[in-house]
Amino acid sequence: MADELIPTWEDVARRYGRKIYNFAYRLTGNPDDAADLVQDVLLRVRKGLASYTPGSFEGWLWRITRNAFLDGVRRKKRRPTSPLPDDDRAPIGASPSPDEVLAAVRLSDDVQEALLKLPLEFRECVVLCDVVGLTYEEIATAVEAPVGTVRSRIHRGRKLLRGMLTWPV
Amino acid sequence: MAGMNAGSCDIGVLLSAYLDGELRAGELERVAEHLGDCPDCVLEFRMLKEARAAMRLLPLLEAPEWLLDEALHLGPELSAYLDGELMTAEIPDVVGHLTVCARCRDDLLELDSARVAIRALPRVEPPEFLDVARVARSSPTRSRWRLATAAAGIAAAVVLTLGVATRPVPEQTVDLNSFADRHVARASVEAGFSMLPVLAPGPVTP
Ligand SMILES: [Zn+2]
Ligand SMILES: [Zn+2]
Repeated sequence: MADELIPTWEDVARRYGRKIYNFAYRLTGNPDDAADLVQDVLLRVRKGLASYTPGSFEGWLWRITRNAFLDGVRRKKRRPTSPLPDDDRAPIGASPSPDEVLAAVRLSDDVQEALLKLPLEFRECVVLCDVVGLTYEEIATAVEAPVGTVRSRIHRGRKLLRGMLTWPV
Repeated sequence: MAGMNAGSCDIGVLLSAYLDGELRAGELERVAEHLGDCPDCVLEFRMLKEARAAMRLLPLLEAPEWLLDEALHLGPELSAYLDGELMTAEIPDVVGHLTVCARCRDDLLELDSARVAIRALPRVEPPEFLDVARVARSSPTRSRWRLATAAAGIAAAVVLTLGVATRPVPEQTVDLNSFADRHVARASVEAGFSMLPVLAPGPVTP
């Protein structure tokens, strides 16, 4: 890790943009907020890279992302809430058969809905683990909590999530 | 749902970590052994596995194209660059991007012309009523405070007039393009252009 290469912000946008978008989408549940968040994050990355000292880049990046998300939540709270758009869905990446797509959409809608009902600190840990694919160690850096705490948040988050899902897997 | 609510086993909290391969050596054996003879934990383990599977079923969405496209290029940094208002730490990145990105260089030139055009607006003479002598004469009975304010206003007016007087107002018939060109050349030296490394003919790393 001694000679870790520090990426440029273009690298970050190219390599992590989609992941950040997915993190943002799963946490906020709608494409507009997700886009806002991605812009905010990439701006912060651009500003912050200059002072980044080699260490856990993933941890650093996702801490910025997560802080941007929390700031967004705080801003939102001060504004009157608007209802989530119903049919404003982002397109799905892969393109299997129509039936499969429909089933997958319904399925992922259920999961997404349940996800949004999770307490924030569980939600972010579960998303960082299962959507972004970070290790517990990296999540701990990102959310600025001990690994043991991350462990139990993921655990409790998954338990709550499973309790909310009605379909058999 | 018995397994979900079982609080009797302290092994429960380790089950998610077990799924994720995040257990330490000692714990791994403990959990594996425990699962062998605790139906409650086996049930809970299955449920956690389902929750995890559900999460991983979520499709990886494509970010809107414009979003990343925008993120890949410079925005407000360009104006800050022209005005010499970038933070020192930002400069290498911005300059680095400008050396490899024609699109941002074009944007920079356009912004600079706009900036130059704004700066080329002629100074305007202050209106007659701001005449210094008249303001002083106008209200001898005002309180000292009002007088002080008026004096400050006069001082400002004087500065303004002098400023205009010592600076020749540019000819109004200047061709904006050639004017802009001249200014671009000047701005190139003044603002940030001097920090642009000369584009070497050699390979440029993307
Ligand atoms: Zn047990
Ligand atoms: Zn560019």
